[in-house]
Amino acid sequence: MSNSQEISNKDIRDAFFDAMYDIAQEDKQVVFLTADMGAMSLERFRKDLPKQYINVGVAEQNMVSVAAGLTLGGKNVFIYAIAPFATQRCYEQIKVDLSVMSLPVTIIGAGPGITYNSDGATHHAVQDISIMRALPGMTIFNPSDAIMASKMARICYESDSPAYVRVDKGKLPSLYSPEDGFSAGLSLVKEGRELLIISTGAMVHKAIGIAEKLKEDSIEAAVMDLYRIKPLDESLFLRFATQYKKIVTLEEHSLVGGIGSLVLEILMDSDNTIPVKRFALKDNYCKGYGDREWMHTQYGLDDNTIIGSIRAWL
Amino acid sequence: MDVTLLEKKARMIRRMILEMIVSSGKGHIGGALSCTDILVTLYYGNILRVDPKNPDWPERDRFILSKGHSCAALYSVLADRGFFPKDELATACKDGSMLGGHPDRSIPGVEADTGSLGHGLGIGSGLALSAKMDGKDFLTVVLLGDGECYEGSVWEAAQFSGSHRLNSLIAIVDRNRQCVNDFTEEINRLDSMTDKWKAFGWDAITIDGHSCNEILHALREHRTSRSLKPLAIIAETTKGKGISFMEGKLKWHHGLPSAEELKIARKDLAVDFPL
Repeated sequence: MSNSQEISNKDIRDAFFDAMYDIAQEDKQVVFLTADMGAMSLERFRKDLPKQYINVGVAEQNMVSVAAGLTLGGKNVFIYAIAPFATQRCYEQIKVDLSVMSLPVTIIGAGPGITYNSDGATHHAVQDISIMRALPGMTIFNPSDAIMASKMARICYESDSPAYVRVDKGKLPSLYSPEDGFSAGLSLVKEGRELLIISTGAMVHKAIGIAEKLKEDSIEAAVMDLYRIKPLDESLFLRFATQYKKIVTLEEHSLVGGIGSLVLEILMDSDNTIPVKRFALKDNYCKGYGDREWMHTQYGLDDNTIIGSIRAWL
Repeated sequence: MDVTLLEKKARMIRRMILEMIVSSGKGHIGGALSCTDILVTLYYGNILRVDPKNPDWPERDRFILSKGHSCAALYSVLADRGFFPKDELATACKDGSMLGGHPDRSIPGVEADTGSLGHGLGIGSGLALSAKMDGKDFLTVVLLGDGECYEGSVWEAAQFSGSHRLNSLIAIVDRNRQCVNDFTEEINRLDSMTDKWKAFGWDAITIDGHSCNEILHALREHRTSRSLKPLAIIAETTKGKGISFMEGKLKWHHGLPSAEELKIARKDLAVDFPL
């Protein structure tokens, strides 16, 4: 099996952590902090690089501040927790200690959106994009396959600004090759002439599936993977987006402030009046319990609901 | 600098604080005056290893004013030590000034952006941990307000640094027993502070926070101590110290003296040399 195949077959989280392990082996200034969150692929990091691995306990506020102090002391720090706790639980520390102070700490948020489906609203990260993108200087990544996640570990390591990475879990279909550089922040992963579906993270795969089904109705839908939510290359984005008559956004995030809002902001600010339909979680909490697809059905993000709505809209 | 000179310097710094706040038209004077003797002892008592001409010197000791609202005291000390011109003090908070109402890292000698309470000890813990990892011997000193100790994040950091035995870390608590609107023991009891810090794995002592001699003794002893624990110094202080009508009064967390009060304040802090 080739190296790229090997990475493609990995759980997306393992792909990120395996790359981070390689970086930490090369550079002893790399320090990894976890708020008592594990992963299979972290076990060898902990075993082989114990001086660079610290479980700070369930104390996310302190994890961020300690990361800031370590960075001031010359370290290159990655911090890790379940996405809502890595962002919302310690937002003030992220704002002041990382964003205001411009310290390049990488925040790894496990399980964005409703990855932790049946664990309930406490474990869902469906406001994290809106609050994190409000922070000046914050980079936000949302990888959609294992190769991209692997590359993002190094991009974050080499970055001179704070970054937040939304890392899903499980094996996602492969979209990219190891030759891809991921500096653009967005890419067209499916061609189409009529409609553009913009999505991010694991939902990109749902967008591709929807585009395939729309083809049966002779609707040619393209899919854009917005894998770097901030900073967004607006001119590149507009070059793609303005080629379409209508735009759909699809995300496992609140309607308030997510990528749908982002797309509207860019279009309106550049005097583009392309009609946009946003598919996201409504302004409420997902309180039902079931698997991710079942929850999508409950909250209007299943294929049938979206396709029906697009058909009626076009 | 010996203790007599430190006391004289503290009086001068208090006067600089008063004039800076009067000039800028705003400022947290009470807490700045309560921590003045601590800052003076740190910066003039041969405790902090810093170089005003090279503020980013990698081997320097780190000082974090976690109670950032007391920045008038820090700015006065940094300016007097030569980190930046003293003239800047009179511009504080005015249009285009380099000095704001809370410290930021663009000011020479300032290590962290503070003002939001409960951050400094965690940042200091990270700095002390980096020193331990790299075998460096710089000290990290964090000055906290006692009201700041209501923030849970202070105790997350205390737990962490105690557990990791970060013995190059010193936390000094400016125990003036007042927060903005009330006396601490009347709204949400903080005593016994030493017991709390000890329970979190620290060495902890209580001293008179206005005695340069006691502050000096506590800090010097720690630098040469073989203890594996970080040190918490609970410095018992008086808010508004040095200005008769401000001492221990809730009114003076922040505020400006009237013309009549200013006369009294200047008399209280009279100095026989130019500032």
